[in-house]
Amino acid sequence: MQKARAAAVGIGEVPSGRFPERSEIEAAVLACRAAILDAGMSPRDIDVVMPVGALASRHFNVDLVFSRLCEELGMLRSARMNVQVMAGGATSASMLAVAEGLVASGLARNVLCVHSDAVGSLPKQTGIDLFSTTGVSEEWEAPYGHNMNAVGALASNRYMHETGTTDEEMAALCVSLRKWAELNPNAMFRTPLTVEEVMASKMVATPLRAKHCNMLADGAAAFIIARAEDAPHITSTPVYVRGHGSLVTHYTTSQDTDLGKLGYEQAAAQTYEKAGIGPKDIQIAELYDAYPVFAMIALDGLKLCRGERAGAFVAAGETSPGGSMPMTTNGGMLSQGHTAVGGGIAVLVEAFRQLMGKAGARQVPNLVNAVETASGGTWMDSHVTVLSKDH
Amino acid sequence: MSNAPRPLPHPTHWSAGYWQAAAERRFVVQECRDCDRPIMYPKRVCPYCLGERLSWRASAGKGEIYAVTTQLAGPPTGFADRLPYVLAVIRLDEGVQLMSNIVGDGALEARIGDRVCVDFEPAGDMVLPVFRLEKAGATQ
Repeated sequence: MQKARAAAVGIGEVPSGRFPERSEIEAAVLACRAAILDAGMSPRDIDVVMPVGALASRHFNVDLVFSRLCEELGMLRSARMNVQVMAGGATSASMLAVAEGLVASGLARNVLCVHSDAVGSLPKQTGIDLFSTTGVSEEWEAPYGHNMNAVGALASNRYMHETGTTDEEMAALCVSLRKWAELNPNAMFRTPLTVEEVMASKMVATPLRAKHCNMLADGAAAFIIARAEDAPHITSTPVYVRGHGSLVTHYTTSQDTDLGKLGYEQAAAQTYEKAGIGPKDIQIAELYDAYPVFAMIALDGLKLCRGERAGAFVAAGETSPGGSMPMTTNGGMLSQGHTAVGGGIAVLVEAFRQLMGKAGARQVPNLVNAVETASGGTWMDSHVTVLSKDH
Repeated sequence: MSNAPRPLPHPTHWSAGYWQAAAERRFVVQECRDCDRPIMYPKRVCPYCLGERLSWRASAGKGEIYAVTTQLAGPPTGFADRLPYVLAVIRLDEGVQLMSNIVGDGALEARIGDRVCVDFEPAGDMVLPVFRLEKAGATQ
């Protein structure tokens, strides 16, 4: 069992949705400000800034790479390094692992991780075309009309074939996420949703209907990672990183030889062994979605359903508020909004928030351990991280 | 939007043989002459042994559907006129996988496990390998 070497000591977030008047830099600055204040720090306590890759604006991303946040937030001549980390939707877990390595090795003391993007304010077709290039091969797949909804559709088709999961059960996962989002003031969609409404929505790419698909959103979130031994001196609510496992399974959708499972079983086994914490010890699951199938695959692969099939477990309400395994309690990308790479960052920040006891109306009581997942591109990789209030 | 051109492949010098074969209505799979394994998609070096002695093996272009979806709405630019179209991951009898369209009779009813066979479809100045159901209309 691995002793925690790093901890989250502060979080910040701005609401997700369509905010054409709020620039990416403004959202980034506000999310960072909130995280620094949450940690009780000054900007000059941060020695490494890690901005995530932004997709909507090349100019904004170049600003992130070239230390604009250090200038905006008063870190000039105190920050030692500004370095972009980018693994698409898997950046949450990947950058946490990088930050953990930096603080554990002594190369950094306090790492500020931040995401901001404005893909929600892009014209609709621009958004579709943007996400038809993220993990879609220009030579081998784009000429056939491949796109992000088709990725979710192909994985759903394979997963449902292998497990017998029904359309209604997939819809039930969307409903579970919406019930959490109703309690989240930062979520894009907060009105109640029913299985019948999902099933009545327009078919987009079989078996996915419009309400099985996420909506692009503008958003920003930030968190600060410190050394585990420093964390209790910084904050009364540190969240320790107890274990991480991951596996890369493809670049293009067509090259995954186990599309109905991805790499979650292998990643979970690595994580549970490192953490000395297993599925029975976990009280909350913050699982990366974007489409319902990917949270279903993770529920199965992480063995969080007490021997039940994920679809039946979700349809029985076990992942909803009041259920035995609260899941993706910010509403996920399906209800909080798909902020590009930030969809995963928001899920990770929600895991920290719940373990910090700062989740307001949706706070799950008596938490000790949480599990978080992430995946990038066309679900090219499967990441599993166990977080804990215990050192 | 509906007049925008469909994106076409831009072959590399190591994939040109695949597209040239398709233009001649032949289907080929790249193979490594050092370790004898089939490779999809075509690569600059063998991903199994890093060998550079790569060549093309004639293939019957037969296999089965591993995953399939019919796109009905929200297509990328260049595909609005083609709706509905069928995207599939196909596992060839050689053991390698690729993405393509299922076209022709019964395509909209294509299911996992259905046997498919390669066909060829002109697209701009290229020819794309596509797949047809082997027993179009037959229930399995």
